[in-house]
Amino acid sequence: MKPARFEYVAVESVAEATEALADSEDARVLAGGQSLVPLMNLRLARPSLLVDVNGLGALSGFEARNGTLRFGAMCRHRFLETDPAVRRQAPIVAETAGLIGHVGIRNRGTLGGSIAHADPVAELPALLVALDGNVVASGTTGERTVPAAEFFAGPFMTSLEPAELLTAVEIPAHSEGDGGAFSEFVLRHGDFATAGVAVILHRDEGGACDRLRVAGCGLGPIPMDLSAAGEFLLGESALTDGGADELGRRVAAASDPTGDVHGSGEYRRELAAVLAADAVRRAWGRAGSAGRG
Amino acid sequence: MTAVAPPVAPPETTTGTLRREDTRLLCGQGEYLGDVQRPDLKHIAILRSPLAHARIRDIDVSGALTLPGVIGAFTGAELAADTGTFNHHLEAIPTLRQINWSVLAVDKVRFVGEAVAAVVADSRYIAEDALELIEVDYEELPAVSDVEAALEGDSPQLYEDWGDNVFLYIPGPHGDTETAFANADGVLEEKFTHHRIIGLPLDGHGALGEFDPATGRLVLHASTQIPHFLRTVLAEITGLSEAKIRVVAPDMGGGFGNKVHMVREEALVAVLAMRVRHPVVWKQDRTESLTASVHSRQQVHNVEAAYRNDGRILGLRAEIIADVGSPELYVIGAGPAIVTTAIVPNCYDLQDYAFELRCVATNKAPMGAYRGYGQGQAVFLIERVLDLVGEKLGIDPVEMRRINMIPDEQRPYVTATGAVLDCGSFHDQLSDLLEGADYDAACRRRDEARTEDRLVGVGIAQMVEATAPNIHGLAGQFGVYEMAMLAVQPDGKVNVVVGTKSQGQGHETIFAKAAADELGISPDDVTVSDGDTGVLPYGSGTWGSRSVVMGGGAVIKAARQVRDKMVAIAAGLLDAPADQITVSDGFFRFGEAAIPFAQIASAAYLHTFLLPPGMDPGLSVIVGYDSFNTSPFPDERGKMNVAATYATAAAAAVVEVDPATGVVSVGDLTIVHDCGTVMNQVILDGQIHGAVMQAIGQTFFEELHYDENGQPLTTTLLDYAIPTFGDVVEPRIIHRETPSDLIGGYRGAGEGALIVVPAALAAAVHDALVPLGVPITQANLSPPRLRELLRGHSAA
Ligand SMILES: Cc1cc2nc3c(=O)[nH]c(=O)nc-3n(C[C@H](O)[C@H](O)[C@H](O)COP(=O)(O)OP(=O)(O)OC[C@H]3O[C@@H](n4cnc5c(N)ncnc54)[C@H](O)[C@@H]3O)c2cc1C
Repeated sequence: MKPARFEYVAVESVAEATEALADSEDARVLAGGQSLVPLMNLRLARPSLLVDVNGLGALSGFEARNGTLRFGAMCRHRFLETDPAVRRQAPIVAETAGLIGHVGIRNRGTLGGSIAHADPVAELPALLVALDGNVVASGTTGERTVPAAEFFAGPFMTSLEPAELLTAVEIPAHSEGDGGAFSEFVLRHGDFATAGVAVILHRDEGGACDRLRVAGCGLGPIPMDLSAAGEFLLGESALTDGGADELGRRVAAASDPTGDVHGSGEYRRELAAVLAADAVRRAWGRAGSAGRG
Repeated sequence: MTAVAPPVAPPETTTGTLRREDTRLLCGQGEYLGDVQRPDLKHIAILRSPLAHARIRDIDVSGALTLPGVIGAFTGAELAADTGTFNHHLEAIPTLRQINWSVLAVDKVRFVGEAVAAVVADSRYIAEDALELIEVDYEELPAVSDVEAALEGDSPQLYEDWGDNVFLYIPGPHGDTETAFANADGVLEEKFTHHRIIGLPLDGHGALGEFDPATGRLVLHASTQIPHFLRTVLAEITGLSEAKIRVVAPDMGGGFGNKVHMVREEALVAVLAMRVRHPVVWKQDRTESLTASVHSRQQVHNVEAAYRNDGRILGLRAEIIADVGSPELYVIGAGPAIVTTAIVPNCYDLQDYAFELRCVATNKAPMGAYRGYGQGQAVFLIERVLDLVGEKLGIDPVEMRRINMIPDEQRPYVTATGAVLDCGSFHDQLSDLLEGADYDAACRRRDEARTEDRLVGVGIAQMVEATAPNIHGLAGQFGVYEMAMLAVQPDGKVNVVVGTKSQGQGHETIFAKAAADELGISPDDVTVSDGDTGVLPYGSGTWGSRSVVMGGGAVIKAARQVRDKMVAIAAGLLDAPADQITVSDGFFRFGEAAIPFAQIASAAYLHTFLLPPGMDPGLSVIVGYDSFNTSPFPDERGKMNVAATYATAAAAAVVEVDPATGVVSVGDLTIVHDCGTVMNQVILDGQIHGAVMQAIGQTFFEELHYDENGQPLTTTLLDYAIPTFGDVVEPRIIHRETPSDLIGGYRGAGEGALIVVPAALAAAVHDALVPLGVPITQANLSPPRLRELLRGHSAA
């Protein structure tokens, strides 16, 4: 269980990174290494060159700009989980990051790495879809912004070009009436989710739901946008048990999971129903209480 | 456990009952195989079959040899020229297929992961690079991974000359089942299944070999539970004499039975050390341990139980099919299934019991030992039968057990298969369980929960465990006995060497105490070592809950012999009759007179003129210790007393099932445990805690998956889920102490909780699902599997 031979370079700027990526046939970005290094040890990934971006301080941290929160790609999961400002301004991001792996993994693993890796069972890609966020990528020719809905192409596949560096992720800033929840099923604490569902919704002043988005992990080849399943709740001011369960049924029907050793497709679909009902209940409650006394 | 000081020299003393080895092991001062270093050490990597079943047409290693840093590349065919083969040494079983196999596959591969070629290089990195340059020309053959499919007439065959895939067939027609079934009021027919799992030590198999051509001596450091057995096998494979081979088993991060087998790679390391004339090391990586070491448990039971309406089980017929995977494993992997057949009657009076055992080869990694060694499957079978029959008859589980239990008066009780049970009262043990678990209250709470539509269940199970087994007729050429060396040094301090091998069980602590108690000194004055065939002529290793029973017995026997000699010396010095000398607190006493222990020791070595006339100097012995009560082979009726003694246990579990996700939460777990004399309760409780964790793991988390073509799907710990600390269930433990007739009164511990708890959990889940009417007949109750069961039921 030793990696094949590879070269290594630690870069100091985004430009240096994208050049290194462009110059080499099979170069890969090394972020937290929590997904890439195990794959290399199994020789399932065999990059010729590792471009280490851990020194790019500019890619850490986050800032609010015109109603948008922009997170640097190198934000560690543990930072997202524990930083007081993130917890206040993007509570759903903090909650979701805390679901990833164990503390040791979260200390190293990064937001950008998780999004770029595009594991269909990973939480953050699903959250990004639920939040209808954007991915910011830099190449040798400049920067572009890709909506999450267009970013994920298949299991472990994205629309990033080989020579592009994912530099940031943008999501809408949390505002009054927003509520979100991420519910997942893990066999053991710290495992990848067998299935997970994010519900992001907004309730207007009167308490009626005027926006509801749903996305899932482990429920299809990519983070699945399952928002259509929740349309029947738009305009409702109260969420009944029957409504939550109905959302569960619709989410389960709309998802497209495949089976593996952690559970069959059928099992994941059953979980989706339970998780969506749970997530919408929690999100609904949070939206109702957020900032309105 | 004790608070651990920062790394310091291990304490000279042990306090109370804590383990003296813990400071060393917990502060990173242990020496595991990976810590053994040699100048000029070379590294072995092994090319493994990607196919489940194929003929090897040709292997070309020339590419590997071109890589800088590669010392050599080897194939099975090439090594076969001057290397011996493995075989099972079970000629005594006529219905066993006799096979021979080599350190690397030669003509055929029979599972994904089978070793086909090896590279020796300057580093493991280079060695793994070189593996990619070896070309193997395979002729792929159809594979079979399902054991029932392997029994079909049209199945692919692993060994064409067999004509089928049945590796071992044993019929066991005990008693008179014809009459029992004829007299029955009803017959229960059930199929029980046990899934494939693995006893997975953190520290996997591995070996470091050194060969000195000048002296012709081979030293193999191997992470093994059975260093002396391994030496015997290495002699067969290498052609060296056992006198020229030394096997050293260093500290080990677990074994669990996996390392009671001599995997071919261990012998390969020895052979390559002799070939390349450098010290060489191979350490199993995690994928190798999951796909190419020793799997376990997988069995199918087709059972018919004849019962009377009063709850009495009159007779039982069991067809037991064990999925042994590739049978090329020594000691034989069929052993656990043979033990399954022997333990089925458990603590019940069931003389009319007939089984048919088929151990079937499939294109999967070999199956073999794992803590419990086939006994958990037997206990699951009979305990499920009692509950299912009870359910039909409206008799509750406690009553079903009392009706069928072996009466207290019958001791020893000889079971249908010949086990001579010397155990304590099963009735009293059950009463202790019910009281300890507050069983009636638990049942009341379950009934209340049911009124709230919650699926809560209570289950009980009991077990008898064959401890310190004799494995001549079960597993190979080795017996049951143990050896120990004890030397009192001139300064009065003591060395004890045992033939058992600690994998973390605290043997340094317990054997020091065993010796010290006999010698009347402090355990602090006793140094214990194990795992070195260069020091002790032979030993049987650690497995089968045997170490305290057999190793403890050997140590006590050795200490008594040395003490007798010391008493004779003291008698001379005190001018007293030997039979009036007492030994305690480091003194030999006669009336008011006392001589320090150390003074007798110095007389034996230094001031030998003080010895009684004609007495040889020195104070050391090497003893062999056998219980003399086991059967090496089945008699003509197939009966066999498999073990030196028998431990017992009972468990009660309370669970709640979430029907939506299939998750089972264990609310409460009580274990009553009788391993005879308890030597050290801290260590014993630790054994029970560990076994409970593994029981939780095998029931709710673990499963090795293969697809229908024999491709393994659980190849890393991402896929194979072992429980973590978040999943710990802390049992309530009640000890009973019914001494055996063996030295020390020990019965053996370590495996019991893992044998009985899965059956109790299954019973509790079954009980929880009573409102849904879903019976539990499978050992695998992981959330997806339980959901599958519930789904199948609601669809029906
Ligand atoms: C035991 C364990 C448990 C885990 N559990 C979970 C879990 O529950 N949920 C979960 O989501 N994840 C889990 N992970 C994975 C973890 O979250 C990873 O950190 C994450 O998936 C990848 O982030 P990384 O920074 O480690 O990326 P790396 O491993 O460094 O890289 C992953 C991939 O993304 C590419 N990449 C990384 N950063 C960039 C970038 N800025 N631009 C372009 N490409 C980039 C790399 O080239 C590589 O292909 C677990 C990992 C382990 C080892």
